[in-house]
Amino acid sequence: MNLLGAGILKGMAVTLKNFIGSYFDKERLNTLEYMWQNDKSLPKRAGDYPKEEGEQLRPTTTVTNYSRNFPMLLHDDGEPMDTIRCVACQICERECPPQCIYIEKSDDKKERPGGKPQFYPATFDIDVSVCMSCQICVEVCPFDAIVMNSQFELSTPDRFNGLLLKRGDLLKSNQYYHKIHPEEAADRDKRIADDKAAKEAKKKAAEAAKEAKKKAAEAKAKSEAEANSKEESKDPSEPPQTSTEHNKEENTE
Amino acid sequence: MNWELIKDILLATVPLLVIFPTMFALTTWVERKALARIQNRIGPNKVGVPMSRYGGKLSLFGLGQPAADGIKMLFKENIVPTGADRLFHLLAPILSLIPAMLVLCFLPLNFPWLTDEQNSVKAFMLDGAVIFFFAITGLNTLAVFMAGWASRNKYSLLGGMRAIAQMVSYEIPLVLSAVVVVMTVGSLNAGEIAKSQDGWNWFVFSPWGLAAFIIFFIASLAETNRSPFDLPEAESEIIAGYFTEYSGFKFALFFLGEYIAMFAISGLAVTLFLGAGDGPGAEAYPSLKVIWFLAKICVLIGIMIWLRGTLPRLRVDQLMSFAWKFLMPLSILNIFITGFAWHAENNNEEYGFTIKAIIWTASLLILYLTAKGLDKVNRANIKPRTYQYGE
Amino acid sequence: MGPHHPSTHGVFRMDVKLDGETVVDLKPVFGYLHRNHEKIAENISYLASMPFTDRLDYFNSMTNNWAYAIAAEKLVEIEVPERAEYLRVIMAELTRLVNHISLVGFFVNDLGALGTPLLYAFREREKILDLFEQASGARMMCNYLRFGGLRCDVPEGWLKRARDLVDRFPKFLDEYEQLLCENEIILSRTQGVGTLSRDLAISAGVTGPMLRASGVNYDIRKVDQYGIYNRFKFRVPYSENNVGDCYDRFMIRMLEMRESIEILKQALDGIEEGPVMGNAGKVFKPKPAEAYGRIESPKGELGFYLVADGTPKPYRFRVRPPSFINLTVLRDMCIGQQVADAVIILGSIDIVLGEVDR
Repeated sequence: MNLLGAGILKGMAVTLKNFIGSYFDKERLNTLEYMWQNDKSLPKRAGDYPKEEGEQLRPTTTVTNYSRNFPMLLHDDGEPMDTIRCVACQICERECPPQCIYIEKSDDKKERPGGKPQFYPATFDIDVSVCMSCQICVEVCPFDAIVMNSQFELSTPDRFNGLLLKRGDLLKSNQYYHKIHPEEAADRDKRIADDKAAKEAKKKAAEAAKEAKKKAAEAKAKSEAEANSKEESKDPSEPPQTSTEHNKEENTE
Repeated sequence: MNWELIKDILLATVPLLVIFPTMFALTTWVERKALARIQNRIGPNKVGVPMSRYGGKLSLFGLGQPAADGIKMLFKENIVPTGADRLFHLLAPILSLIPAMLVLCFLPLNFPWLTDEQNSVKAFMLDGAVIFFFAITGLNTLAVFMAGWASRNKYSLLGGMRAIAQMVSYEIPLVLSAVVVVMTVGSLNAGEIAKSQDGWNWFVFSPWGLAAFIIFFIASLAETNRSPFDLPEAESEIIAGYFTEYSGFKFALFFLGEYIAMFAISGLAVTLFLGAGDGPGAEAYPSLKVIWFLAKICVLIGIMIWLRGTLPRLRVDQLMSFAWKFLMPLSILNIFITGFAWHAENNNEEYGFTIKAIIWTASLLILYLTAKGLDKVNRANIKPRTYQYGE
Repeated sequence: MGPHHPSTHGVFRMDVKLDGETVVDLKPVFGYLHRNHEKIAENISYLASMPFTDRLDYFNSMTNNWAYAIAAEKLVEIEVPERAEYLRVIMAELTRLVNHISLVGFFVNDLGALGTPLLYAFREREKILDLFEQASGARMMCNYLRFGGLRCDVPEGWLKRARDLVDRFPKFLDEYEQLLCENEIILSRTQGVGTLSRDLAISAGVTGPMLRASGVNYDIRKVDQYGIYNRFKFRVPYSENNVGDCYDRFMIRMLEMRESIEILKQALDGIEEGPVMGNAGKVFKPKPAEAYGRIESPKGELGFYLVADGTPKPYRFRVRPPSFINLTVLRDMCIGQQVADAVIILGSIDIVLGEVDR
């Protein structure tokens, strides 16, 4: 025979425990206060929201090293447009589920440090009002040129142009990437280096083997590369993997 | 003109009109803070006195929140639905506030700056104060139904109907449990009742008084539409009940009326059961009585907030059967027990402690077993269940 | 009632005919959140549908991903590596905790409890969502599973954090049960309300905890043993009294959470190092075939039916949403009850309008 109203009293004991606990126990009250108003360096009005690097990495915000928000374009050290990794292959544009990426390929090629001249995106727009942060563009990119940013202070008074991120807004340096996603960036750099080393080794082995008939092979490789790049620009619906391989070869050569 | 009388009236009533609305403002803040803490949130903590345009302000734990709420309420648009009865739509919130404010006069608050004669303009010295209190609180029902009817909205109407049914049926246990105190004291005068409890002689410290207090408190929760009896404004079912169609200042009036009614009915509970202004040091310094009285009201309000943070609400039919099949039989039984106990104690004074002990145990046992039995009868098949597992 | 009503869990409209406060007739009206999910999926590649499945039932993106991945893996017969299977189970059971805990919170909120249980539930849910964020980068729209594995491995120390969470969770459940399970008001509000008989439940195709609350011992984790569920020892709670009221549906979920914790403990013990992505190539282009993949999502049987025609896009893409099919018995359960009961019956079905309307 249990006490009348025992269930209600038990429940009240639980709420009392929580009431008191919320003053002492971090487990119970784990709210982080977002103190942007007391922070002088943060924006004061709508429209001033930071688009600078690293702005969102304050201890009071909840962004972690793992969060993803909207994509950004990576460039290596140096002038952003000189070292941009994107070659405007338009795979991400094709694969994007909500179709929020718009790319226009450049007419000319640009010199890249440690590589051949490449196309670059003349226009690269991402409409973040459409983007659903799914990270598929990052996965399909063969050049590690597009990765996820964790910036979330994007509010703006302009609903259309303000939310359309242009190439300039999207370009971020690799150091910035290391800052916001240290583990992921390290992994990615290691993989790129590994790939490069593997390619190099392969190339060297191939060169050694081809030493005898060096001249013929060189000529052949050259013509192949040219054919490939032509093929790629002609046929945009070609499956991504083939174009990936071709482009990579081009890159390392 | 009798200027003396007008002066007396002002002296006696203005403090009430200052204290209780201020308490209302603070209570809304306390309620939000306490509920937030119960739910492991922080609650309002930003609104304060701005010191400069950007940042830099005195936030004072968000104490500016009631003021901000009030200002917002004042400036909001007054929306009256098409087809609503404009006159009654306007009158309802006013009518809900007036009785709530009126009954404050029945609370035996002896402000130290008032002489007995000045106090007599307040109604608690009236010989039928308790009856008047219940009569005037009953008016609140009318206001609620008026609001529900005049809004021309099905949710409002449902809320209004619920409110009427609920308030009418909970008046009965409310009054019947108060009868216990009136019987024992032999007076309906609130001042007398308060006086009879001086010196830790509170009614809540006797079995029948405790039972009556619990019944009274539960019924008063229902009277003021507080959780778990907040059916007239059940958010998950009928949006906001009878004040669905109210906005701006009219809504604020409803809100104010509801809280003032809460204070009033807690004040009555304090008067009847919790020894009114009695407390440590009250005899030596009579001015402490006001403080104790208000403090006890605050404790009761705190318990109401705590209950609100814990309990889900009942269903309409369960609510009614709880009043008619549980609270009412229990409170009638309680009246009989009080009568017997009173006679037994007063006619057998030579046995003193022994008879008291016997009466107390017997009445506690009878009351508890009756409550248990009524509960068993009312909710025959309702109990926790067991489940089986499949591999 | 609705579509803009505080307790219709989204934009759902119940056309209720009342006699006083008793429900005489009820007609559910939905489609306010229709997003053309299936048709969109037929016009984009297989992989690109994955993030859209997150948005079906936005509480359980991990299990939605899994159901879709199972269907697609059946199409092309990809092997899933060991570690990925373990992580999938861990994610699915964590999702089950998230779903059940917040369902119970919402349910008690519908009963009128002013959000206290809901906020306790959300406090715990936040901790699980933090884990999801560390693994996948997003808290709710995880988009974590891929055909043949997972998108990436969990970061270092994740398993330890998950372990901590799983160890601490029963303590919270105890407290939660203390708050709710014996509360007289909840008992009298939910018992005998919205009964669903065993026969009706079976013939209406109701699945998940709702079916088990009506006394049927049926769980796809046991029946299909998809993934590696055959390696874990767990029990399936079901009601023995054949009443199937709101109280049963509420309690079954409380009990299921305990079983999920058991599975999580075993999975966290058994997981080993290894790759998380199988040999699936970057291009997903199945031969003409059809496949139906189903799992026991927290709400019931979630199935994806795919017809491939040899192109990178599916020819037909069909979802079997548990909340939609469980919703079909709403009218039968509500008639004769009170308005207040209709609200909690809807709450106890556990619908998410994103999944009902698609």
